[in-house]
Parts: sequence; structure tokens; C-alpha cells
Amino acid sequence: MVAGREELLLAGVRKTYGPATVLDLDHLRLEGGQVVCLIGENGAGKSTLMGVINGSVEPDAGTLTLSGEPLSGGTLQAQAQGVAMVSQEFPLVGQLTVAENLLLGQRASDRKLFVDGKAMHAAAERMLEAIGLDVPTRRRVDSLSVAQRQMLEIAKALGRNPRVLILDEPTSALGPAESEHVLQLARELAARGGIAIFVGHRLNEVRSVGDRMVVLRNGRLVADLTPQEATEDRLVREMVGKELAQIVEVPPAPDAEPLLEVHGLETENFGPIDLTVGSGEIVGVAGLMGSGRSTLLHLLLGARRTTAGEMTLAGEAYHPRDTSEGVEAGVGLVPEDRKAQALLLDSPIRWNITLAVLKRISVRGLFLQRRPERRIAAEMVKTVNVKCQTAEQPARSLSGGNQQRMIFGRWIATRPKLLLLDEPTRGVDVGAKAEIYKLIEEERKKGMAIVVASSELEELLELCHRIVVLKHGRIAAHFDRASFSKERIIAAAAFGAPS
Amino acid sequence: MIDSPTENEQMDSETGPHGVAAPTESATTGAGGRLARRMVDSPEIGIIIALIVAFVVFSLKNPLFASVSDLQAPLGIDLAGFGILAIGESFAIITGGIDLSVGSLVAFFCVFSAWLNVTAHVPVVFTFILTIAIGALWGLWHGMLITRLGVAPFVVTLVTFIFAAGADEAIAPNPISISSGTFLAVASSKVLGIPIAVIIFLIIGIAAWIFLERTYMGRQLYAVGGNREAARLSGIRIDRRVVLAYVVSGACAAVVGLLEASRLTSGTADSVSGWELIAIASCVIGGVSLVGGQGRLIGVVAGAALLVVLQDGLVAVNVNAYYQRMVVGVVLLIAIVIDRFRVRRIERSARRAIRPDRAPGQVS
Repeated sequence: MVAGREELLLAGVRKTYGPATVLDLDHLRLEGGQVVCLIGENGAGKSTLMGVINGSVEPDAGTLTLSGEPLSGGTLQAQAQGVAMVSQEFPLVGQLTVAENLLLGQRASDRKLFVDGKAMHAAAERMLEAIGLDVPTRRRVDSLSVAQRQMLEIAKALGRNPRVLILDEPTSALGPAESEHVLQLARELAARGGIAIFVGHRLNEVRSVGDRMVVLRNGRLVADLTPQEATEDRLVREMVGKELAQIVEVPPAPDAEPLLEVHGLETENFGPIDLTVGSGEIVGVAGLMGSGRSTLLHLLLGARRTTAGEMTLAGEAYHPRDTSEGVEAGVGLVPEDRKAQALLLDSPIRWNITLAVLKRISVRGLFLQRRPERRIAAEMVKTVNVKCQTAEQPARSLSGGNQQRMIFGRWIATRPKLLLLDEPTRGVDVGAKAEIYKLIEEERKKGMAIVVASSELEELLELCHRIVVLKHGRIAAHFDRASFSKERIIAAAAFGAPS
Repeated sequence: MIDSPTENEQMDSETGPHGVAAPTESATTGAGGRLARRMVDSPEIGIIIALIVAFVVFSLKNPLFASVSDLQAPLGIDLAGFGILAIGESFAIITGGIDLSVGSLVAFFCVFSAWLNVTAHVPVVFTFILTIAIGALWGLWHGMLITRLGVAPFVVTLVTFIFAAGADEAIAPNPISISSGTFLAVASSKVLGIPIAVIIFLIIGIAAWIFLERTYMGRQLYAVGGNREAARLSGIRIDRRVVLAYVVSGACAAVVGLLEASRLTSGTADSVSGWELIAIASCVIGGVSLVGGQGRLIGVVAGAALLVVLQDGLVAVNVNAYYQRMVVGVVLLIAIVIDRFRVRRIERSARRAIRPDRAPGQVS
């Protein structure tokens, strides 16, 4: 086990992606014996910092030293020097057993070529016992629950006797008892002189476990607090900063006519949700990762089955059994992951734009006519301003911003009553972002009802008339434009109730 | 018109420059050049040239090869069989799947139709209708297993491949001779000098072309193969489209089974081994992407035609039968390599078209 107290020093560590500096730390010293909590908004640089420490991100400048030895050279080197990380997406091999996963990349005995089954299972059982997880070592990992896999991942990391242990939101998948156990394990590691780095979004949990709170904002270290200093207000204030709390432009108030009404909408681990969206109104959906933002939009389109609830769209009962019924009723969705969920990359722009109106523009219920199709494609290319030479070139040849506008064009062509936008500006640059905002505002003016889900709070603050905050699939808080406040929205997303 | 270079945004890192059309080139060259460009860029051009070259070479070696009677049979009849099978296969491949069962199904329906007509005394017309209907149902079964149970198309159709290969022998261990004149006329009679089998092939080919190119369902078939989730979130009933593709494939296999029975004048099981691979090869040679979402009917038919010309041409110039498969293998290899070069050339020009530091006019 670890002798003495470890010390991790980061000096002048910087990382940039293109023009964006995502991490810029002059000096950060982490000591053994402490549980250090790393806090920050989405994009504050937490993941990059964790990546730098565990070797998966190579910094552009700066040095890392672990108790005197330089720490560099990739994840394998970092692992060899005693850095272990428990990430949110579990890199476990589902088809292998618990024991095989625990000892993946390690050897339980001296045999060179063949696996020593007995030694492997014995070693695995010791590892499971150490964290109090009771599952047979011969079970296949894909038969375990998410919580059990999370615990297994932690067992795997602890089994390496780490000097530095990074826990990335380890408790988000766990119940209260297991969470407490994990936090206890982190404290034990610290007590032995190791460094435990805990990344969390639940601020109250962070405050209860940490000996020290390190707050990042825009890649910089903005606060280094003791638990006594770190009140809820203080943490939120440090995370948000002061400069961005005001609202730029107030969109005109919409007429109050409700277009979409939702009562008691439910599906697995989600809901019940009540929601009303008026025509000409933009409603924002905020919430942490996994809070159910995309689920809500998918339910509204019919891309997921509801288990309970009533919906009306433009005065008529609306219960889409699949996306086809949703689209026919006048609903459209610009999905979160452009490449995986929206684009036909190798097909022409024309195909991409007319995809959702194909059936409608067919004559005699079946036949496509070339001229109307080309006309629609040309019209939309102009409306949403896709920069291309011809609508016949493949979607792949467009930049991200143009692709995203093209997908907007796909839905504007359907003249939807309700447009659902999931992360509408993800992965596009600042200029393209402004153009997309303009498009949204234009469609809104025509009387469309719009629901925007986004992890960028600024985006919602700028676009929306109202914002609902989701937490664990329920609406935790509800804000009118007059009461918009970044601090209160973040607090609601993290703590549940509005403060 | 050409956009000024500044209007071309810098590409995001996530969008690699793998475009398949070279938009700038057609804009910069003249009308004649434009047509030539489009032909060079069309994925089917290489295969069509190869088809013509092969045909000319065989005809020079053996003038009989290009004679009317040879064009009618074996060429015409063989093309009808391979062609229809390849068309059905292309539907499955365009959705991003594969249908391994078609070879075995052809053998099965060849025997089954003969059994229906001869042993069970079903009139010829009903034999045809029943056979095609069962082919379609068999495809429906594939489609349901794939969409409802989420079994991989490869596995579902592999099961049929094995099952049907045994089923035909079980129905008739010995060939069943067909005596019905109507049945035999399909392969042997001609209308205006064109074998009826070829006319059937042409009808199916035109219908398939209209479906794929000119109907919304055809377009949706490509969308399902190109990006399943995007198709679903755009309001397309993806399961129905996938099922439809396997129904078409199954029905086509049944039609080819009937043609074979008529050609061989009996229901016999061993003439068609490996036909599913020829159908798949026709698609690949014709530019249908095995990943799905890409490929045109004209290419599929040209691919099948090339394989038929090679097979029958090698026979016509007295090349030993066992070299034929080797030649088909080599042709497949060449087709794939040429296609890679074509895509790469287009990628390069697409990259130049997108890069903002160079005017698109400088391309070519």
C-alpha cells in the first residue's frame, strides 16, 4: 500500500482545441490525505483536467509531477504510476465475466500464456469483498445492473492500489447506501495517504464528502475552498461567474394560445410531466446530463413509447405511436447527434432536405416527382442558407454549421406546428450559431411552437420565453423570462428545488 | 454559379472530406465536358465499359457469341435469372442488410414449383402465383425476424440457406420432369424474338427502377440503409421498409426458381449452387454499397450482365469451366479497386472545393 503522503503537482498546464482554450492552470497542488472535489459547469474544463491527469489528454504545455516523479506519456504510463480513473461510461467488456473484467490486462499468477482460472477468481473475489459488492465472479458483466457495473468499475480501479483515484460522478448511477459506501472508500484511500479526486454535479453531496473544493470556470481555477467556505450560494456563484447573469434581448411575448398541452406524460424512469407550449412560444428544457431532456423531446415526437399521459396538439388528441404519426401530426425534431441521428452523409443535400416530406409530395400516394422535389430543396437551401454549389452534392461535403441548417431545412419544409430542437447548436462555430438563432426566431414569428433542450444555459436564456428544469425525469423548477437567473437554474438542476 | 471561396466555411473536424460528388468540376467545364464528367463520376461507368469490352472480345474470338440465337439463349435466359436475383438482392443490401438465402430458395422453388404442377396437379397459372406468393411470404418471415426480434439479416437468411437446401431434396430426391407446355414456354418461347424470360426480367427491372428512383418508398429504402436512426426520426416507418426489401428479395428468388424449372424442364436441385454469391457480387460490382444506402439499379443489372457475359463467353471460347469462378473473382477484385480509385479522386476534388484558401475554379 501507499507509503507516506502522495503529492500531485500541476504547473502551467494548458490545453487548447483550435482557438478555444479549454484548460489553463498556473499551479495546482493536490495532497494525499484529502478528498478533493472538482466542480464546474459543462465545458468548464473538468473532463480535460481529469484527462490530463490520467494520461488520455496530452496537454499543450506544462508539467505534472506525482510525488517527485514526472507524470507523462499516456494512459498506460499513468496507470503504471498509480493513477486510476472511474469514468461515467464504463469501459467494461459485457461478454466477459466479472472476474475477467476485473483482471483485464493483469495477470493473477505467473503463468505466461494460459489463464489461471482459480487464481483469477480468487483475486477477483478479494477485490469485490474490499468494496462490499456481492456478485458471483463468474457472472457475465452484461447481466449486471448499471449500479453494479459502476461498483465493479470502482473495484477494478481500487484493485490497482492507486495512488491517485479519480471518480467521475461515481454516484449518479447509485442508490444512497451504495453512494455512501463509495464516498467512504474514497475517504479510506485518502486516509492511507492517497489522493482522491471526486467530480460531482450534486452540490450537496460534493459538500459532504470533500475536504477541499476546487472550482473551475472556462478552463481556469477560480476558487479553492474549504468545506466551511463552500456554501451553496458561493459554489454556484463561483461556477457561474458574475459577468453573464444579464439577458441580452427580450423576445416579444407570445400570444397565450396553447398549442401543445401535456398532462402526466410518463415512460420508464421518466415523468410524470406537465407542460404547455403556446404557438409562437419558445420553451427551454434545462437539466444535467441524464436528466431526461432528450427523452422528453423523443416522447413528444413519438420516437419513444409513453406509458401514461395525455397530449393535445392544436386542440386535438395527440398520441403518436411512432415517429411517422408524430411527423404527420405536425411535429419535427432536430436531434442531438447530427451525424448519428440526422444526416444521410453520402446522399445529396436534396435527399436530406426532402426526407420528411417525401410522402406528402408524392402523387397518387406513391410516386415522387422530380420537379417539385427539386423546387423544395432549392427553396430550403435558400431559406436556411446552406452554402453549397448545388443541392446535388453530398451532405458530407458541408461544414457542420451548414449541415445543421440543412437539417433545419428538412423540418421547415414540413411546416411543423411544433418544432423540437435538441442541442441545436452543438458543434457549430459562433457565426453559424447566430444564424441558427435567427432561423429559430423567424420560424417562431410564423407561429410555430418551439421546444429547445440544451446543455448550454446561455443559449436557453437568450432564446426562450420560459425554461423548465428537469431533474431525474421530472420538472424540478419552472422559470418565466422575468425570473430568469442562471444561478437559480443551475441550483434547480443540481439540487432539485428552486432556491 | 460558383460561390466565392470566402463563403465556404471551414469544415468542422467531425466532417471528414469524403464527399462523393465533385460539385465544382461540373460548374467549370462546358456542356459536353459536363456530360463527360458526369459519366466519369457515375459509379456505373467502369462496369459498363468492362461489359462492352468483354462482349466485343468474346464476339471477335467466336462470332457465334454475338449471334441472335446465342443472344436469346444462353445469354438472354442466363441474364434473366442472374439479373432478377441480383435485383432482389440489391433491395436487401440497400437497406443495409444481406440476403444469403436466395440461392437455396431458387433451388427450392425450382423443385417446389415442379412438384406443385406435376405431383400435386396444380394448374400452371396457380403454380406460378402460389410459388411467387410463398417466396414473398418467406421474405416476410425474414423481415419479421429481422425487425421484430432484431436478429442480424446474415443469420436469419443463413438459416433459410441451410434449411431450403435440405427442403428441396426432401420434396423430390429425384428430378421431377415437367410436361406442361405453358410452364416450359417461359424459357423456350419468344415474343418478337425475345425470350419470355427476358421480357419478365425487363418488366421486373423497370418496375424495380421506378420503385427505387421514382417513389417515396424507394427513397425511404435508401434512407433506412444510409442512416437508420435519421430515417426513423424523420418519420419513416423503418421496419416496414426493411420487411418490404426482404419480401421483394424472396419473391424474386421464387420467380428465378420458376425460370430455372422451365429452363431445365424439370424440378432439380443442384443447378444453382452459389447463386446467392453471384447475386451479391453483381450488386457489389454494380456499385451497391454493402453498408447500405448507396447503389443504383442500372449498376446492379450491368453487374449481373457482366458476370453472365463472362460465364457464357468463357464457355463460347472453350475455356475450361473451373476457370470461370476464378475469373469472376478477379473481376470482382478489379471492380472494387477501380471503385476505390474513383471515390478517392472525387474525395480529392471535394477537399479542394471545400478548402477556403483556394478558389474552386482552380480545380481540375
